[in-house]
Amino acid sequence: MADAAIHGHGHGHDDRRGFFTRWFMSTNHKDIGILYLFTAAAVGLLAVIFTVYMRLELMEPGVQYMCAEGARLTAAAAGECTPNGHLWNVMITYHGVLMMFFVVIPALFGGFGNYFMPLHIGAPDMAFPRMNNLSYWMYVAGVCLGVASLLTPGSSDGQLGAGVGWVLYPPLSTQNADLISMDLAIFAVHVSGASSILGAINMITTFLNMRAPGMTLHKVPLFAWSIFVTAWMILLALPVLAGAITMLLTDRNFGTTFFAPEGGGDPILYQHILWFFGHPEVYIIIVPGFGIISHVIATFSRKPIFGYLPMVYAMVAIGALGFVVWAHHMYTVGMSLTQQAYFMVATMTIAVPTGIKVFSWIATMWRGSISFETPMLWAFGFLFLFTVGGVTGIVLSQAGIDRAYHDTYYVVAHFHYVMSLGAVFAIFAGVYYWIGKMSGRQYPEWAGKLHFWMMFIGSNLTFFPQHFLGRQGMPRRYIDYPEAFAYWNKISSIGAFISFASFVFFIGVIFYTLFAGRRVTENNYWNEYADTLEWTLPSPPPEHTFEQLPKREDWDKAHSH
Amino acid sequence: MPYEWLPPSAEGERLHLWPYRSLPRRGFVLFIGATAALLTVPLVPVLGTPVLWVLLPFLVLAVAALWWALERSYRDGEIVEDLTLTRAEMRLTRHGPRGRRQDWQANTHWVRLTLYPQGGPVPQYLTLTGGGREVELGAFLSEEERIALHDDLARRLCALR
Repeated sequence: MADAAIHGHGHGHDDRRGFFTRWFMSTNHKDIGILYLFTAAAVGLLAVIFTVYMRLELMEPGVQYMCAEGARLTAAAAGECTPNGHLWNVMITYHGVLMMFFVVIPALFGGFGNYFMPLHIGAPDMAFPRMNNLSYWMYVAGVCLGVASLLTPGSSDGQLGAGVGWVLYPPLSTQNADLISMDLAIFAVHVSGASSILGAINMITTFLNMRAPGMTLHKVPLFAWSIFVTAWMILLALPVLAGAITMLLTDRNFGTTFFAPEGGGDPILYQHILWFFGHPEVYIIIVPGFGIISHVIATFSRKPIFGYLPMVYAMVAIGALGFVVWAHHMYTVGMSLTQQAYFMVATMTIAVPTGIKVFSWIATMWRGSISFETPMLWAFGFLFLFTVGGVTGIVLSQAGIDRAYHDTYYVVAHFHYVMSLGAVFAIFAGVYYWIGKMSGRQYPEWAGKLHFWMMFIGSNLTFFPQHFLGRQGMPRRYIDYPEAFAYWNKISSIGAFISFASFVFFIGVIFYTLFAGRRVTENNYWNEYADTLEWTLPSPPPEHTFEQLPKREDWDKAHSH
Repeated sequence: MPYEWLPPSAEGERLHLWPYRSLPRRGFVLFIGATAALLTVPLVPVLGTPVLWVLLPFLVLAVAALWWALERSYRDGEIVEDLTLTRAEMRLTRHGPRGRRQDWQANTHWVRLTLYPQGGPVPQYLTLTGGGREVELGAFLSEEERIALHDDLARRLCALR
């Protein structure tokens, strides 16, 4: 029972797990978080390699690398080159699918969310640790299905992979029903969606029911709040996606006609459902980033976050508004004027809570004692680039202007500014902010800074010129372009190569840090404004944390929240 | 504070202790309600089409899974320690999750109340010794709560002897 356990037994928590037990059978939220981060990084590398290949192809007008005669890595390779549009389509599809489902969400939500949300609220683990393990392995299974889809026949001429774009629009995605690649892609998204939903339910239960005594909703750290809002959005959005792609699957394999006009179905309905999931999806990607950035900015400005409550409710508002603006992705499908007017106004409204967040971050820095350690550089980068992406979003939200910009590189530039530069910069800010806490070793400051500047310059060089290309009328999703677009495409490709070099350098920095980085001895190696509960624990934290409830003075800092 | 003395009755003094849960029942209702309401939004564009009937099960499943998970989390924390205190006898019943029940009783006069600042599974570990066994009390409370409970119980025991 109830029989007392004094003097040690069942206590002490020596970590005696073997490698296999620890990493392959883990139910520990911290270990699962680390697994998510590493897996996401590996998949991220694959998805980034695809983009490098695409930018290589787009560097010059004409097709030099993706040839029907065989994919090449050097333009100097001899022989005729017939453009291989399918290979191009496969590249854009898998870059999108992998980044959206298997890289950014697993890193921010699965990785940092798992590791730090329970710590922030003083919970000993997730509410359902074994379900957490299941979520992770379903994610791995999803990755395997995605890669399998890439390597199985997907086009009528026998080429591999499905080239339908990450949105999987019918009727393109319901063609070639006898080929397995598209079905595997659907299964990959299904399994990853199920993994995310299970993860979300786990996070929601943990957040709602396992907060430390006294930690009311208005006292929870912003990162934990951001994970909760994200989990809620996942729970609301992903079942809709699951329904949509299930219908694709039955349309392909069982003769239903949900999205086929010849059987009374409607392909536009698919777009509605897809974007009902798809727009919240982009907030699912960015909101955990908001949480990380808030902590980083407060820490390195040596000030508590400005406007804690508005920050919380801005996240909730962004989450809620994200569900009522979906059709701004499809202004050109033939909606009525009234519908377009509604979606336009609703979309613009999102600028209000987003503005509250951006201005609160700036106000946090205002008259703060700012220092530019690496995580702060990334947070600065995030703030600037996310705002640029947000402003081009307002431009695109206007149904009239969207007529000109729809499906041009302007859109590509816009969403990469918010996601590739926004969310990814937040991931890097989180990695540098917490790596000492997670590993017990600190990265070399110069290396973090070099990585930042390479990535900042490289990614801006990649994506800023794409605004110009979009304004000149260059359409997305094409393997080739006329001579007139050559100049900015070349610059964009050079930027992509610099960004890729910075990513490879980052991998080196991580392994150097893990094996040879300076050991961290303090619990809190930043300053007293890093005041959430993980900073009261050793670096790295022991296997079990907060088995006893944390003391209120550990987290309820007078100068914070 | 997750323990309370029930109003005095003929059976003697009674104390209930339970672990802290941060979601009140009212919050559970609000959250499930809000989730279900928001999940109806994607059904609007597909009203009157067969697509609705394929979407609906997924949405119902999501709400059901959330409901089950929160209930399960409540159940995992359904521990009540029920301590009855009279001049003749002290009785402790622990109702654990999923119907587990453990009992202990001893003569109040000989019961020893101990607070172990260290060495137990939690700091300020509170135990009762008597009837040949030593049992824990309120191991799920916070440190301060256990200290306060110790002083409170010690005073009441004193008064009964």
